[in-house]
Amino acid sequence: MWGRLKEIYIYREMLLNLVAKELRARYKGSVLGFFWTFFNPLLMLIVYSIVFSFIMRAGIENYAMFLFVALLPWNYLSNSILQGAASLVQNASLIKKVYFPREVLPLSVVLANLVNYLLSLLILIPALLLFKVRLTSALLAFPLVLFAETLLVASLALLVSVGNVYFRDLEHITGVFMTIWFFLTPVLYPVEMVPSDVRKFFTLNPAAPLIEAYRDIFFEGTWPDWRVLLYLALGYLLLFYISLLAFERWQRAVAEEV
Amino acid sequence: MAKEAKEVAIEVKDVWKKFRLYHDKAYSLKERVLFWGRNKAEDFWALKGINLSVPKGSTVGLIGRNGSGKSTLLKIISRILYPTRGEVKVNGRVSTLLELGAGFHPDFTGRENIFLNASILGLSRREIKERLNDIISFAELGDFIDNPVRNYSSGMYMRLGFAVAVHVDPEILLIDEVLAVGDLAFQEKCMARIKELQKKGTTIILVSHAPKQVAELCHFAVWLDRGEIKMLGEAKEVARAYDEFVRTG
Repeated sequence: MWGRLKEIYIYREMLLNLVAKELRARYKGSVLGFFWTFFNPLLMLIVYSIVFSFIMRAGIENYAMFLFVALLPWNYLSNSILQGAASLVQNASLIKKVYFPREVLPLSVVLANLVNYLLSLLILIPALLLFKVRLTSALLAFPLVLFAETLLVASLALLVSVGNVYFRDLEHITGVFMTIWFFLTPVLYPVEMVPSDVRKFFTLNPAAPLIEAYRDIFFEGTWPDWRVLLYLALGYLLLFYISLLAFERWQRAVAEEV
Repeated sequence: MAKEAKEVAIEVKDVWKKFRLYHDKAYSLKERVLFWGRNKAEDFWALKGINLSVPKGSTVGLIGRNGSGKSTLLKIISRILYPTRGEVKVNGRVSTLLELGAGFHPDFTGRENIFLNASILGLSRREIKERLNDIISFAELGDFIDNPVRNYSSGMYMRLGFAVAVHVDPEILLIDEVLAVGDLAFQEKCMARIKELQKKGTTIILVSHAPKQVAELCHFAVWLDRGEIKMLGEAKEVARAYDEFVRTG
């Protein structure tokens, strides 16, 4: 396992180059390019805000910011997994010609989306200030929450990317699954709105406590529940370890199957 | 050819490789379920019981007809493929050249592609910077080095790819049939570079269709025929036998 991680470290330059290539493609040439990647979430934000503030009145104060704070980390999760799913298959020719630790491919997707998320904070923070959301020292918990989320995201990206090589429709199934998962996670709505008898099932959702934590630190200005966060981080660390093992095992036949 | 363990760069132990050739591959979940057990497939054994022990610092020529398993063997040694049976032990960093310019991005300049390609071959940023000037001068592209690669001719493309590849400086270098590219002058340069690497003690496995090249460059040679080793020994002998076989066969 350490050998594998060390190898990925040896290929860190390739990882960074792939991320740079991905970001360059997205932000091609202009400042405007940067904003294009926001167009979609911003549009979603506007539409959902209108719907849930004026039409299906959810009665949540400052709904736009309430949503924005959760939407961005969700997109990081969702995009990483969806793009990660295609990452091995898309690079089939490279995999067949050169040896490199294949983890680099889905991990580069995760890293690119991570950078994207961090850059989006440049929009989130001013927006929060504009909408008079109180920012507190709870923001210091951000790195830990982000780290926990990244472990989850990386694990799932690894698993889906290698699975997709053997079952090509996994990519599409994942798309549907992410949509369902989105609605079952308290992103659009606060967890308090979930009827209490069903709420226990919501806590089984690995993304729910993460989104809660983001909302705590950015929107509520309170520190997230430490114990929950710690269990989460440890759980995801274990998941990451298992994903690395599974990936290493299953990637062996990839050059033939892809 | 075998010597003590630490003097062996590559150890191939009873390696067998099977490929499943599907008549109609089921890629989706639905197809796999519907056609379970009815998928017509053939087993093709590309490698059958290969045993090889490559001493450090030697150059081994790999010869044989097309389809004899040479590329498959290289891919297994470089971990692109895994053996169906048997194992491979490798002592040292491996660089495999199956195709030049792997990962070249058409919109990137030659210079940028050097960084990209070299990183895919496993070099760190520092290592690439150290070699950058040597690579650029080896490629002889002049000002084109700062032009996007999509404007290159195929010859320029290959020269750039090879320039990066020969400067990777691994302990073990596996070269598939990529040397048969470029004009005569460039070929000579490549040969010279390989001889330099030999002097440095690099272990090299070279796939070649030219018996003369094998006799000239290699210490040992392996003749693969339909997945099995037909002959193994001193390069000159094997090359001569192969040459005769091809002429008379």
